[in-house]
Amino acid sequence: MSFLTRNLAIREPLLISLLVLLAIVSFAFTHAYSQAYDARRNDLGQKWFEHGNQELAVNQPAAGVEAYRTALSYMPQNWECRLRLAEALVLAGQTHQAHEYFAGLWQVQPQNGTVNLQLARLAAREGNALEAERYYNGAIFGNWPDDSRDRRRDAVFELIDFYLQRHDLRQAESQLLTLSANLPDDPALQTRVADLFMRVQDYAHALDFYKRAARQDQHNLAALLGAGKAALQLGDYRMAESYSARALHEDNGNQDAGNLLRLAQTALQLDPFEHGINSSEKARRALRSFEIVGARLDACDQQRGKSTSSTPANAPLISSLQKWNQWKPNANLTSLAHNPDQADELFDFALQAEQAIQATCGQAAVYDEALLALVRKRSAEEK
Amino acid sequence: MSTLQNVTPSTPQPAPEPQKHPSRARSFSRRLSGKFQYDEDRFFLILAVFIGIFAGLAVVCFRITMEWTRLLLLGSALTPSTLRAFLAPSLTGLFISLLIFTLCKDARGSGLNQTKAALYISDGYISMRTVIGKFVTATLAIGSGHSLGPEDPSLQIGAGLASALGRRLSLSRKKLRLLAPVGAAAGLAAAFNAPISAVLFVIEEVIGHWSAGILGAVVLSAVASVVTMRWFLGAEPFFRIPPVGVIRWEELAAYAVLGILGGLASVIFSKAIGWLRPRLKSTPARLQFFYPAVAGLLIGFIAFAGFPQVMGAGYDYIDQAMHGQFAWQMLGLLVLMKILATTLSFASGTPGGMFAPTLFVGAMLGGTVGSVEHILFPHLTGSIATYALVGMGVLFAGFLRAPMTSVFMALEVSGDYSIILPVVTANTFSYLISRRLQHTPILELINRQDGLYLPALEEEREHEVLSVENAMRPTPSIILLGEMTVFEAWGKVKGSAETYFLVRSEHKMWFCVAGEDLHRWAEANLKKVLNDAVGNKPLPYLHPDQDLEEALRLVSKWPQIPVLSRADISQLLGVITLSDILEAFKNSADDVNLLEGPRGD
Repeated sequence: MSFLTRNLAIREPLLISLLVLLAIVSFAFTHAYSQAYDARRNDLGQKWFEHGNQELAVNQPAAGVEAYRTALSYMPQNWECRLRLAEALVLAGQTHQAHEYFAGLWQVQPQNGTVNLQLARLAAREGNALEAERYYNGAIFGNWPDDSRDRRRDAVFELIDFYLQRHDLRQAESQLLTLSANLPDDPALQTRVADLFMRVQDYAHALDFYKRAARQDQHNLAALLGAGKAALQLGDYRMAESYSARALHEDNGNQDAGNLLRLAQTALQLDPFEHGINSSEKARRALRSFEIVGARLDACDQQRGKSTSSTPANAPLISSLQKWNQWKPNANLTSLAHNPDQADELFDFALQAEQAIQATCGQAAVYDEALLALVRKRSAEEK
Repeated sequence: MSTLQNVTPSTPQPAPEPQKHPSRARSFSRRLSGKFQYDEDRFFLILAVFIGIFAGLAVVCFRITMEWTRLLLLGSALTPSTLRAFLAPSLTGLFISLLIFTLCKDARGSGLNQTKAALYISDGYISMRTVIGKFVTATLAIGSGHSLGPEDPSLQIGAGLASALGRRLSLSRKKLRLLAPVGAAAGLAAAFNAPISAVLFVIEEVIGHWSAGILGAVVLSAVASVVTMRWFLGAEPFFRIPPVGVIRWEELAAYAVLGILGGLASVIFSKAIGWLRPRLKSTPARLQFFYPAVAGLLIGFIAFAGFPQVMGAGYDYIDQAMHGQFAWQMLGLLVLMKILATTLSFASGTPGGMFAPTLFVGAMLGGTVGSVEHILFPHLTGSIATYALVGMGVLFAGFLRAPMTSVFMALEVSGDYSIILPVVTANTFSYLISRRLQHTPILELINRQDGLYLPALEEEREHEVLSVENAMRPTPSIILLGEMTVFEAWGKVKGSAETYFLVRSEHKMWFCVAGEDLHRWAEANLKKVLNDAVGNKPLPYLHPDQDLEEALRLVSKWPQIPVLSRADISQLLGVITLSDILEAFKNSADDVNLLEGPRGD
């Protein structure tokens, strides 16, 4: 080099050319070296990532966390691995670290549906309603890699469940209505939505979706049973009887369906306001209810013993007993048949007394349940 | 260090043969030769870029080799097995000793002090043997789990490559001396992926004073090396920094606490190294041979005791701490364990740097303070990552005593200007506490333990710069006017004790006349006004804020120099003479001795 650099006229360009050449050679060497290293790192990263997946598959989240961390040391920018590590931290019960980790991921991809959903779950677990709501909405409107419609719908289901756990029926119903507006014709989904409508006490929507599901799949036991229950809640005992009978037809041994059928039939037998019945039938049903309540009052009185006369909590029961005794002399089929208003009053008393009995002694038989269903129907009608 | 100057090439250009009819081609060739005439200053800047590229490539290879070594010695798991944790650092320690004692003695230590020593003692000469030795031994040490970092060795490798290249290219001695910091900045910038911090660190810790002359070359090489490094290893930082976000004013109190704790941790760290290192060095050489192995064994024990995070540089764990993966108790323990492990590794003479351990300790300390703050004041929302990042700067300011680098490092790594306020707050506390309790910075202390006394920027910052106003005397009572006759002037100065008198001409210029001359002219019955008698060469003048060294240059030619106001050049504020300047320097030296005494801990 010194020979070449002796000639000053060519020294600088020559030196620069030599340096460029040296740089190219060094670059080539370093490139080959770093490629080999990258390949090795990638192999190791994949190996540890798989190891982490295996640990999670055998329910060893702590080992999974360690494996994912190791994998991340080889491929620090691997999003999937980072996500799995955060999920493993949740499974390992390291919620604080998991939260920090997910928060870090959220900073990178605030629209990521999975990250939002996980953060929502953590916030819900910590009881942070505001944050949970925010992240659930992030998950609902966020980006999902595949099956985005299903994943978003699942997020809505979780949000509804979250509201239900917090007894916020209004918010839950609002989400449910939005969700139900775009529901595909899938009986399982329709049944699921109808179940949730039942939980938010929107029986009309519940019945509607149970019926849709039952139309799609006529052997859908859950839909048939649900429709029966929703119909019962709405006071449509005929429909309740019909759906519960179909449910029982689908599964003979289904106890729920059997109970529901009995209940619907009993309610039908006891309901004096059913359309198309004459005054003597109405009187008969009112009197029957009165007698059932009388027997229940006696039983409840004996069950409570002396305490019935003392505590303020028992006051409605005592009052009902006294009223029942007052009603008893006039409660006969002939007078009630001639006086439909009196039959109505007697029936209303029977319903009130049933409520008092239920409050003191609890529910006893299918009759009580039927009477209570009638109570609900009557209150709904009055409203 | 002086500024870059044109240097005439040592080998003369051969004279062209005489041509009667020079052809057009030859004339073109001559013009081309003229264009490409060798200019060492220009070439130095081009060379700085190449040094950056070569240093970047070397650092890439260094890091990759270090990782391969770690895989081989400690396995691919994040936490090494117990057997590997004990055997790898101890047996490798023995091998490193063998290399250092037989082949490359100068590969000991971090590389930072050695580079600075080379710059000031041997004109920036660093042998290729040292470069290769440092590459191999530091790779083995860090790869086997010794608690050291790759940045300082990278700095030395960069400086060594630059030195070797400069020697090969037969650069002048002055340029060779400048090449070492250029290479050092390139090496450090590539190792830490932060060019601004690297440049500042090299200025603060290697060059030891501000020098505009090589700043351009240093910046060029640092940028070139980072670009090269990113080409291969990617632009991602070694740890992921979440966004800093808004810092609430209440949180500044927590950052002040972090600064105080960081200052104390820095002092503990410095004292530990400062205490253990000379004691180990004073033992017989045959014992020193085993120290890296013993240190490795003890580090293995620390790892076995539940702190494998202390092994190696620890960037993965800094990342985890930044993302809240450790409880505050663990973070606090890691601070202590890392200080212990690094003290053992470094004091044993194992090659490797303190840059990464400093960052590790700072990040863990910051994480501890951030976590505790979250527990005590849950309404404060500052992320732990921000605390960890500020913590790194805090240790940098307190332990390495590089306050400017510490601020810019936090800024450069986070890329977020909102971190400035907490960093400055915390660093100020840390720096002041560290200065108060550990007078000599750790790097300087290590130099002194090795018998070296090298300049430091901290010293320069403390050094009082004397200016003209510190030495000038008040306006003399006698000022002569140019339109006075010689007789009038002599009549005015006669009987005065002064030897020289200032003369102000009608053009507001100043001249100086000796009393003796006035006397002679008066006796000779000279019929002249002073304007004509004093000649046409006016005195130069000074302003009060000018450096006293500037004044010293002038008073060697003139007996006294007028000091004029910058606001009104016709206003005389005083005069300055050689004796005034010497008196000012003498007083300044007396003050320094009286206040500080000799430096040292």
